[in-house]
Amino acid sequence: MHHLKITNLSSAYGKNVVLTDVSLTVDKGQVISLVGPSGSGKSTLLRVLVGLTPPTGGTVEIQGELINYNSKSSIKLSRDRMAIVFQQYNLFQNMDVMGNVTIAPIKIKKRDRKEVEAEAEDLLERVGLADKLTAYPDQLSGGQQQRVAIARALALQPDLLLLDEVTSALDPELVTEVLDTIRRLASDGMTMIIVSHEMGFVREISDQVVMMDEGRIIERGLPAEIFDKPTTDRAREFFGKILRH
Amino acid sequence: MNYTFQFGVALESLPALLRAGILTVELSFFAFWGGALIGLAGAAAKTFGGPVVSRLAQAYVVFFTNTPALLQIYLLYYGLPEVGIILPSFTCVLLGLTLNAGAYLTEIQRAGFLSVRLTEIEAAETLGMSLWQQIRFVIVPHIAKTIYPPLANMFLILVLGSSMAAVFSVDELTGTAINISTETYRWLEMFTLVAGVYIILTFVASIMLAVVGRKFFRVKARMF
Repeated sequence: MHHLKITNLSSAYGKNVVLTDVSLTVDKGQVISLVGPSGSGKSTLLRVLVGLTPPTGGTVEIQGELINYNSKSSIKLSRDRMAIVFQQYNLFQNMDVMGNVTIAPIKIKKRDRKEVEAEAEDLLERVGLADKLTAYPDQLSGGQQQRVAIARALALQPDLLLLDEVTSALDPELVTEVLDTIRRLASDGMTMIIVSHEMGFVREISDQVVMMDEGRIIERGLPAEIFDKPTTDRAREFFGKILRH
Repeated sequence: MNYTFQFGVALESLPALLRAGILTVELSFFAFWGGALIGLAGAAAKTFGGPVVSRLAQAYVVFFTNTPALLQIYLLYYGLPEVGIILPSFTCVLLGLTLNAGAYLTEIQRAGFLSVRLTEIEAAETLGMSLWQQIRFVIVPHIAKTIYPPLANMFLILVLGSSMAAVFSVDELTGTAINISTETYRWLEMFTLVAGVYIILTFVASIMLAVVGRKFFRVKARMF
């Protein structure tokens, strides 16, 4: 059984088709990277998975269970298993770091505060922010905020972590600290789908790379295959452009 | 200046002034909270009401923010009895101040609504929060922080604006000062004293508002 199985997933905003017949499987512990030009549907795919954008067709199964995106309770269950980290971190500005990380486990999952806070401290330690527990988002750098966002996602103990261009909004010198955090997660066995433009990183960390264009998957394979021997013209052109600099 | 200040009579009336100060605070307090409720409805109407409702709310705001508050109270004071509603002066002034504040508070709260970041709501959603939890943990605290400083300002404006009640023989601070002065003829002393009482009132209110703002809403409020 696959950890996540996406079959013929489609989505559209009004008449704009943004995803067409996307099929993808992810096994436990795998890191899958989605690459491709802006607007190719990578982020939309993640948004559909977590129920922020409704699908127009296809199915998603997580650990063998079908998610019904027309049902609020089914979406809620899927959110217990999948956590997403956004490009713009999207931290709650009115809460300190500890508050951001613990609000969902305490208030939504109704877990014991002390236990959750102890776990949160461990998580923040893992992302290198043990000394920022009482800081507010506006007192942190972008890289620090993004690491808080990762800790917040991990606090839900997800089976699958979705990372949506998590370094795209960061200054270059802050990218490394976030990538290091993700590397550590990968080596701990976290199952992840990563949307990224950091090609060197993608190549190094991914078990499989999936290239998307105009809402479709046009190529997939091991990182070396995709980067060194792309089979489609579109992929060759794309990698030609971004790998040149 | 040849005027010789004689504060004797004015100081004798200090207890009466402090009592009147309570009325001033009452007027501004109720006008503020009443206005805040109207403003909440107005902001909701402007933001979420369809074309008709939002335009009605807009018309209300335009009228009450583009005419003097004093005139608005006059309209109520002389207009309401014509339609058979006879209210005590205090109530009539309170109603006027409330409607006036409501218009400004509509705009303030609307700015609060618009300041809520969609991205934070999406994050809340994906963390599994229900709509009610999103409102309680994300939306309301965010709005509160954004609008707290203009709200606090509005309250101070109302404290001072409540002096218009004097025109309608409500014995709040200014009204009381006028009454006593007509008997004692010590106008200048009286109003100097009353100015001091207003300053103390707004001073205390500013500090209280700043403390509450810092403690509960993380607002970096200036004391002055």
